[in-house]
Amino acid sequence: MLFILFDVEVVFLYPWAVLFRDFVGAGWGLFVFIEMLVFLGILTIGLVYVYGRRALHWE
Amino acid sequence: MKQNFVYFLPELVLIVTILAMVVADFVAGAKSKIYPLLGTIGLVAMMFAACAVSKQPPAHFFSGMVTFDRMALFFKYVFGAAGILGIILSARSPEVEKADQPSYYALTVALVLGMMLLSMSNNLLMVYLALEMVSVLSYILTGSARGVRRSSEASLKYVIYGGVASGIMAYGISLLYGMTGTLNLGEIAVFLKTHAVSRPALFTSIVLMMGGFGYKIASFPFHMWCPDVYEGAPTPFTALLSVGPKAAGFAILIRFFILALTQPSETGQFVSIKAVGWPQMMSGLAIATMTIGNLAALAQKNLKRLLAYSSIAHAGYMLMGFAALNQESLTAILFYLVVYLIMNIGAFLVVILVSNQLGTEDVDGFKGLCHRGSLGMFLSLAMTLFLLSLTGIPPMAGFIGKFYLFGAVVRAGLYGLAIAGVLNSVVSLYYYIRIVKAMFFDQPADHRAIQMPILTQSCTLSLLAILTLYLGLFWDSLAQLAAKSTGLLF
Repeated sequence: MLFILFDVEVVFLYPWAVLFRDFVGAGWGLFVFIEMLVFLGILTIGLVYVYGRRALHWE
Repeated sequence: MKQNFVYFLPELVLIVTILAMVVADFVAGAKSKIYPLLGTIGLVAMMFAACAVSKQPPAHFFSGMVTFDRMALFFKYVFGAAGILGIILSARSPEVEKADQPSYYALTVALVLGMMLLSMSNNLLMVYLALEMVSVLSYILTGSARGVRRSSEASLKYVIYGGVASGIMAYGISLLYGMTGTLNLGEIAVFLKTHAVSRPALFTSIVLMMGGFGYKIASFPFHMWCPDVYEGAPTPFTALLSVGPKAAGFAILIRFFILALTQPSETGQFVSIKAVGWPQMMSGLAIATMTIGNLAALAQKNLKRLLAYSSIAHAGYMLMGFAALNQESLTAILFYLVVYLIMNIGAFLVVILVSNQLGTEDVDGFKGLCHRGSLGMFLSLAMTLFLLSLTGIPPMAGFIGKFYLFGAVVRAGLYGLAIAGVLNSVVSLYYYIRIVKAMFFDQPADHRAIQMPILTQSCTLSLLAILTLYLGLFWDSLAQLAAKSTGLLF
C-alpha cells in the first residue's frame, strides 16, 4: 500500500523532470523547483509519520 | 501562475492544518486534546481566507480543472460550518474516544477539503477525483471506532456500495468523453449544442453518472447504504456525514447538470440540451426518493436509522426543487441546504447527548425526557424545535426552506411533483411527532436527571436552536445570500 503511494510519487516526478529544462528556459525554473519540493515535502511528512507509527517495522 | 494560488488560498489553509496535525501527532502524541482545537482553528482560518478571496472575480484556474465562482464560495462557508460543528460534536464523545484521535480530526479536515474541491470541480476527472476523496475519507471515518463491530460492518458496506457506484459513474464519464472528446464541463456544453450526438447514448451516460451523484446524495435507487452506515458510524460523524457529503453531492449535481447539459431559454427556465429528458428522470427520482424515505422511516425504532431515512427524504425534497430547473429553485436548494445543516446537526446533537447518558439510541430512550431534570426539559424543547423544523412547520426555518422549494416547483408548473411533496411532508409529521410525544407524554423508565454535558456542546445546541427559530422569522439575509450565490461560471 505504501509502495503504491511512493510509486505514484515517482510517476509524478517523471513528467516534471522531462519538462523542467523548458521551464528553466522560460524563466520559471525556481518556482517549479520549489513547487516540486513542496510536493515531495508533503509526502516526506507522510513517510516520517508512517515511520514513527512503526508501520515500517518488519516483525 | 501566482493567481492560481491566490484563488486556492482557503484550500491551502486546510492543507497546512492537516500537515500541522500530522506533525502534532509526533510532538504531542495520540492522547493529547489539542486535535479538535487545531481542526477548529484551521477551519475558522479557512473561512477567513475564503472571505479574503471573495473579492476576486470569478475564474477558472489550474488549467480549467477547478472554478472559483459565487456558488463555490457559498459552499466553502457551508462546509466550513459543517466541519466546525462536526468537530464540536466529536470532542469528548465516548464513541470518538475509541478512534485514533489525531487521524480522526485530520481526516475530518481532509473531508472538508475534499468537499470543497468537489463543489469547485469544472472537469469530469476532477469530479471523479474529488468524489472519491470524499467517499474514501467517509469510509475511513465511518469505521474509525476501533473494536466496535457495528462501525466496521457499516464501513465495509459503505466501501462496497460506494466502490460500485463510483465505477458506474466512471463508466458514464467515459461514455460522455467518448461522445464529446473533452472532459471540461463548459466545452462539453459547447460541443453538445453544436454537434449532433446520439440521444440514447447521451441519456445512458447521464443515467450512469447519476449513479455516482445519486449515491452521494442518497437518492433512490442508490439509498440502500444510508441507514446501515448512519447507524454504524460514530454518531458525531453521522451528523457530519448527513449534511456535508450530501451538500457536496448537490453542489456537483447542480454544477454538472446546469453547466453541461442545459441551454438557456427565453423564460429563464433551464432546458435540457437536445431535449434529452433528464429533467423528467429527476422528477421521477425525486418522488421515489421522498416516498421511500418517508414510508421507511415510519417503521424505525432506532433514532439514527430514523434520521437516516429522514435525510433520504430531505434529499428527495431538494431533488424535487432541482427538477424545477429555474433560478428560484437553485436559490431554494442553497437556502434549504443551510437550514438543513442547522436542524439536522441539532437533532443529532440531542441524540448524542441523550444516548451518551442513557446508552440507548431507540425512541424508547427518549420517553419522559422532559421529566429528567431541567436539562432534560431543555433537550426536549430543543429536539421539538428541530423535529418540527424538519417537518416544515412555521415559524421554524424548515418551513421557509420548504416554502421556497415548493414555490419554485409551482413556478415551473410541476403541480404533480408539488402535491407529492406536500403529501410526503404530511406523512413525515407522524414519525417526528412520535418522538415529541415520547418526550413529553410518556413516563421515563427512571427519574435520573440528565447530567450537564460539556459547555461547548450545550452552547452549540442553544445556538442551533436559536438559529432555527431566527431563520424561521428573519430569513431574508440568508435568502439574499443564496440568491447571489447561484452564479455559476460557464
